[in-house]
Amino acid sequence: MRTYDCDVVVVGGGSTGAGVVRDVAMRGYSTILVDRADLGQGTTGRYHGLLHSGGRYVVSDPHSATECAEENTIVTRIHADAVETTGGLFVSVPEDDLAFSDDFLAGCQKTGVRVTEISVADALKREPRVNPKIQRAFLVEDGTVDGWQMVWGAARSAQEHGAKILTYTAVVGIEKQGDAVTAVRCIDRRSGEDVTISCRFVINAAGAWSHHIAELAGCHDVEVVPGRGIMIAMNHRLVNTVINRCTYPADGDILVPVHTVAIIGTTDVRADDPDELPIPHNEVQQMLDCGEVLIPGFRQARALHAWSGARPLVKDARVSAQDTRHMSRGMSILDHQARDGVSGILTIAGGKLTTYRLMAKNIVDRMCEQLGEERDCRTADEAVPNSTPGKNYVVTHRLHDREADRRDDQIICECELMSRSMLVKAMHADPMASMDDLRRHLRLGMGPCQGGFCSLRATGIGCAEGIFDADTGNARLKEFLSHRWIGLWPILYGDQVRETALDEWIFQGLLDIDHLPEEKVVFEPVPLNAGAQAAQADAKPETTEVSR
Amino acid sequence: MTRVVVIGGGLAGLMAAARLVDQGAEVTLVTFGIGGLQLSHGGFDVLGYTPERVDRPFDALDDFIAAHPDHPYARLGTQGVREGVAFACTFFGDLFVGNSERNWLLPTAVGALRPTYLASPTMIAADPRADHDPVVVVGLRQLKDFQADLIAGNLVKQQIPARAIVLDFPARIREADASGLTYARAMDRADYRADFADALRKQLSKGEKALIPAIVGHRTATAFTDLRDRLGSPLAEIPLPPPSVPGMRLNDYASRHLQDIRVRWILGSRVVAIHGHDRRASSVDVATSGHIIELKADAFVYAPGGFESGAISLDSYGKVLETHLGLPVQVPEGQLIGPDRTAEQPLFRSGLATDDHMRVLDQQNRPVFENLFAAGGVLAGAMRWSEKSGEGIAAASAVRAADAIGDLA
Repeated sequence: MRTYDCDVVVVGGGSTGAGVVRDVAMRGYSTILVDRADLGQGTTGRYHGLLHSGGRYVVSDPHSATECAEENTIVTRIHADAVETTGGLFVSVPEDDLAFSDDFLAGCQKTGVRVTEISVADALKREPRVNPKIQRAFLVEDGTVDGWQMVWGAARSAQEHGAKILTYTAVVGIEKQGDAVTAVRCIDRRSGEDVTISCRFVINAAGAWSHHIAELAGCHDVEVVPGRGIMIAMNHRLVNTVINRCTYPADGDILVPVHTVAIIGTTDVRADDPDELPIPHNEVQQMLDCGEVLIPGFRQARALHAWSGARPLVKDARVSAQDTRHMSRGMSILDHQARDGVSGILTIAGGKLTTYRLMAKNIVDRMCEQLGEERDCRTADEAVPNSTPGKNYVVTHRLHDREADRRDDQIICECELMSRSMLVKAMHADPMASMDDLRRHLRLGMGPCQGGFCSLRATGIGCAEGIFDADTGNARLKEFLSHRWIGLWPILYGDQVRETALDEWIFQGLLDIDHLPEEKVVFEPVPLNAGAQAAQADAKPETTEVSR
Repeated sequence: MTRVVVIGGGLAGLMAAARLVDQGAEVTLVTFGIGGLQLSHGGFDVLGYTPERVDRPFDALDDFIAAHPDHPYARLGTQGVREGVAFACTFFGDLFVGNSERNWLLPTAVGALRPTYLASPTMIAADPRADHDPVVVVGLRQLKDFQADLIAGNLVKQQIPARAIVLDFPARIREADASGLTYARAMDRADYRADFADALRKQLSKGEKALIPAIVGHRTATAFTDLRDRLGSPLAEIPLPPPSVPGMRLNDYASRHLQDIRVRWILGSRVVAIHGHDRRASSVDVATSGHIIELKADAFVYAPGGFESGAISLDSYGKVLETHLGLPVQVPEGQLIGPDRTAEQPLFRSGLATDDHMRVLDQQNRPVFENLFAAGGVLAGAMRWSEKSGEGIAAASAVRAADAIGDLA
């Protein structure tokens, strides 16, 4: 059993939680962030990659539009290593009502979203693959942002300000004295160890899972409706500018160039369980059709991978719970003191990745208010570590590095230009890291072959470095391939089928990995829904006794 | 003289061409890619799993055929498969070694034990049933596709005494990242083999067997025996992911042989159409550089490979296609791809249906053309990579198609 003591526990390591822990730390509080998995493994790692200019919301949600416009500038400045300033285009395709484009232009002016109308010819010169039949085009300051890079940047910054980050640490209980929160009980899912963190305050930033955390504190009936959306990464940067359809926000109307891919999305369907997010065939077809409207010939391009994310939308009585697209995208703060009579805990949900910093500021302001302390937010003033102003992420950064070290180092993942020393360093830094954890940090297996060549090498190098034995290696390799498959099989067509056939020839035909000796179970984590189970357990009288 | 156009440069196309020349035909071989044989593990599979591991394929084939009526082996019959194997043995000579009708069991580059019917003579000493010698898996620091610790660890789990060593031994000066082919080219040189043997010998104890990556010589047929003699210890190769040196050795051998027997070869050219009437094909259109040429022939063998070559594909609407000639495709019923990676994906059984003569059939089970035959990976009904049946299907269907063309004449 490990114990910690701090002012503020932040639950959730997505963009919101990372923003909150940074903000809290920068205001001089001692703070610990816990997440049941790795940083950015929930919705933050399963989104579109878009850093909004605000253009998307100028008509539907003008307040959000203004927030986006302001935060875009700040995020670009403080996370220069995560943001690519691609610019964005709003285009009216022939199917779109031109009346909306007038509303759009007026909305931009009203909300402070910077916009320039350019000629169709200029738009096509800039993005030759865009539908040549577009009627109008507007240039805005959309960018793309690597959600993981952003979260890690915020986390690094928080750590520099004294915060502690505990990943794979699931909250299983929240202790109270009277009606005041006093401690958070967790379990280290890797070691099985109990972890207790005494604190003055808890900020619940668990996103689509935040109702489970609220429940643990005895705050009932928080309704967070996971709004599921699918996204498909195409194998190339079909465009270098974010392409939006100039319409009222709808499904499949944005194409975003991120790193080496272009991502089409998204849909919006109510999900029952944010841990079970399917990628339905009809939605894949819908996205491909939408892509075809923006980029004729889209279906002939190679789809690389698909994923599904859950927006943490707070239920609004005014709209049907099935219609998640039109639920509030704005941030919601639940004041549990007013709502449930429990002090020392606030829940934040909703919002957008672009406004993560503002969300953090708002909730930490509210916390300070409740604590009766005046401490100013400084998160916009200072860039996160390694964010060099003016030096934006570029797609070829690794090519430059590999040119420099190619005589001395091996390229383990040719698709994503990951070197052996990058891999070995990451493995030693976190020997418990799964191949998926490594993937998020190194982009291992994210390229066209989806791990066909690199995952075998990485497994073997882990053994060679003494990080794990063959048993563990086999288990990690198979787990990784199974996880890659989740995002592959729904979009398997064209060249990606051919690649899959090659991969199967290697893994089954040549290596016969499905006949490796049976592996022992090497990492049996506490189930991901431990929070919910603990909440049910807490509902029993005898367990409630313990928490009092 | 019968004129035949063979389309495809993998094992099926090469063997069909050779068999047809043996029968006195005039053969033109049209290839677009390099042929799948270059990616092969260097052995010859007949049947490895049903899904239980198979020890004697020819004892298992009758039952396998009964259980899989749509499998190419059901068209060929056990005897047909035997004829394919016999021809492969004749054709490749001492590049393949059998194991008295039993499957070899050879360690893979992760340390699984994989069954195969005929093996490269450079690999058979790795079969753990041959002896009880302790094994040393020899990795090379500069070769990333062969990780000795993982392989040795998995062998130990299967009760094979094994340890791993890693030699810091570049293929070329100051090269940190070398492919198996780069090593094989170095191993073609006697001085390099001598240095390598010296370096390795120091690491081996008496009675130990060395398992090394399949890199011992690309063009020099005697490289392996020379290295083994210099080393003075039992030695075996383990095949690597592409580029596969053992596959290249087979392909080079086959290509040279076809050149010797005067097969006309059109390289780098896609076949884009087939023409004919009254169910007789008369010519194919070949897209060579700059223009289309029409090749007339009396018969055609279509061996373009399966999904991995792109000859069979799935479009974004979910339709399975034969991409070059638009031939009718036999597709399994039900869901073609599912969420469990380790389960069978029926999609990959899609391909061309044929009669027992390997003539391509349409949806009504009539030959599309009386003189259009298919062979190899394009045939429907098999899960080659999990059954370990690819070479057996390729060789036997090539032989059957060639013999059927002989009968036509």
